[in-house]
Amino acid sequence: MSIENKVFSGDTLRVGYRFQRHWDNSMAYAFFCAELGAGLYFVSLLLNSIVGMALGLLLVSTGKPYFHLAHMGVPTKSWRAMLRPDRSWISRGVWLLAGLIGAGFLYLAASLFGDSLGLEANSAVLWLLKIAAAACALGVMTYQGFAMSHSSAIAIWNSAIMPMASLLYSLAVGLAVARALVPPAQASGLTDTLLLLLLGLAVMHLMFLHSGWHGGPGARTSVELLLQSVYAKWFWGLVVAVGIVLPGLALSAVPASALAGAVSAVAVLAGFMAWRILIFKIGVFEPIMRMNPFHTAG
Amino acid sequence: MAKMGMVFDLKACIGCNACVIACKQENSLPDGVFFTKTLSEEYGVFPLANRVYIPTICNHCEDAPCEKVCPSGATYTRADGIVMVDDDKCIGCSSCAVACPYDQRTQMDAENFLKGLFGTGEITPFEEQGYGRYTPGTVTKCDFCSQRVDVGLDPACVVTCPTNARIFGDLDDPHSAPSKMIRERHGRPPMPEKNTKPKVFYVN
Repeated sequence: MSIENKVFSGDTLRVGYRFQRHWDNSMAYAFFCAELGAGLYFVSLLLNSIVGMALGLLLVSTGKPYFHLAHMGVPTKSWRAMLRPDRSWISRGVWLLAGLIGAGFLYLAASLFGDSLGLEANSAVLWLLKIAAAACALGVMTYQGFAMSHSSAIAIWNSAIMPMASLLYSLAVGLAVARALVPPAQASGLTDTLLLLLLGLAVMHLMFLHSGWHGGPGARTSVELLLQSVYAKWFWGLVVAVGIVLPGLALSAVPASALAGAVSAVAVLAGFMAWRILIFKIGVFEPIMRMNPFHTAG
Repeated sequence: MAKMGMVFDLKACIGCNACVIACKQENSLPDGVFFTKTLSEEYGVFPLANRVYIPTICNHCEDAPCEKVCPSGATYTRADGIVMVDDDKCIGCSSCAVACPYDQRTQMDAENFLKGLFGTGEITPFEEQGYGRYTPGTVTKCDFCSQRVDVGLDPACVVTCPTNARIFGDLDDPHSAPSKMIRERHGRPPMPEKNTKPKVFYVN
């Protein structure tokens, strides 16, 4: 059955697929800020790029909370989101976020002002802060994928590919932006790694489409929406062509060019943003039962 | 311990929507918000065509995904199996709404309360007395009219149904009406493949 033959019931009283509209663009922007910020911080931590770390932390500590609060129905009670880390990925994420902001800022401050505070470059305190910040950054890079994959309600999200996609995109956008911020000599050495990550993203997208197409009816419908509906031009145009192919070609052709690096960073960011929005748009709830319940009941 | 649940008799349901109206009245639901809906679908080809009505409601799942994902502990299950939402604890993040395979969660937007039932911006005395129980921005759902169940009454939709298409009772009691109906008429839960163990069943 192709997409034209499927019933999308929307707000009507028909039996059919219903679009997920509970998590809107605000959530997509919040996810974008968190994964970009945490990825940028993590990569910058490895590269010792103070500017990258500061920018990453800024995104995580301002953009992410802002868009989450904009989405939330009762923002004044948002602190309650940290109360159930034993069972909710949202709660775990709040703790990871707090850990990243806390340890991240302390490490940044210690890196900048450690000398005047009497901290040696290889002191145990600095190492502990670095490890804590890196671990929390890795957590923030992946937890949103786990939050989406945890529930079976939206079949296309209910996949191990979601946290993998979050991690890969975080690393790719983080490296693409960090690469544009570091000195040219250091940047050229990162080209191969970025190309490898872009290849990883391409493989991840293939796996995503394949598993969705051969998955249950809900997952199949989401993939059909991505490939056959109004979303197809955005997926092929922005996510694939601009987000993966363009930076791949630019970096392969002129790996040492600063302009190619900047263009690649913007292109990967555009592709990532489009992916984040599309993955929310194509989420569907499956029909509550088959069109003829008498046919299969009993 | 009791395990409250409901059975929908699809052969008895005539799609009159009296249950929907009773629910909206009992719970003072604002415009556009429903805790129960009666879906309808045509099937077959003339002359063997027919129309079926499918009532939907929160399934009060034993393994409720909405409860598992709730980061604030607002969603909880009572001792009698009714899944509830504590308005005071709900932060309106909608994670429960995307986790429910049956799409039975609704966010109470402030606009829902402001425009009024007639869409004129005027709030009637009926709405005024009822809206106080909700906190704008929170995510709500059917609670089997817990205020009625607590005093031994059936939910409003069950009492109102003119064809007895909705049967409510204790599923742990093998002699209760819903248990008997599930047993005798091979009741089945909606979307069993989601592994949520619903306490709502359909029989034909």
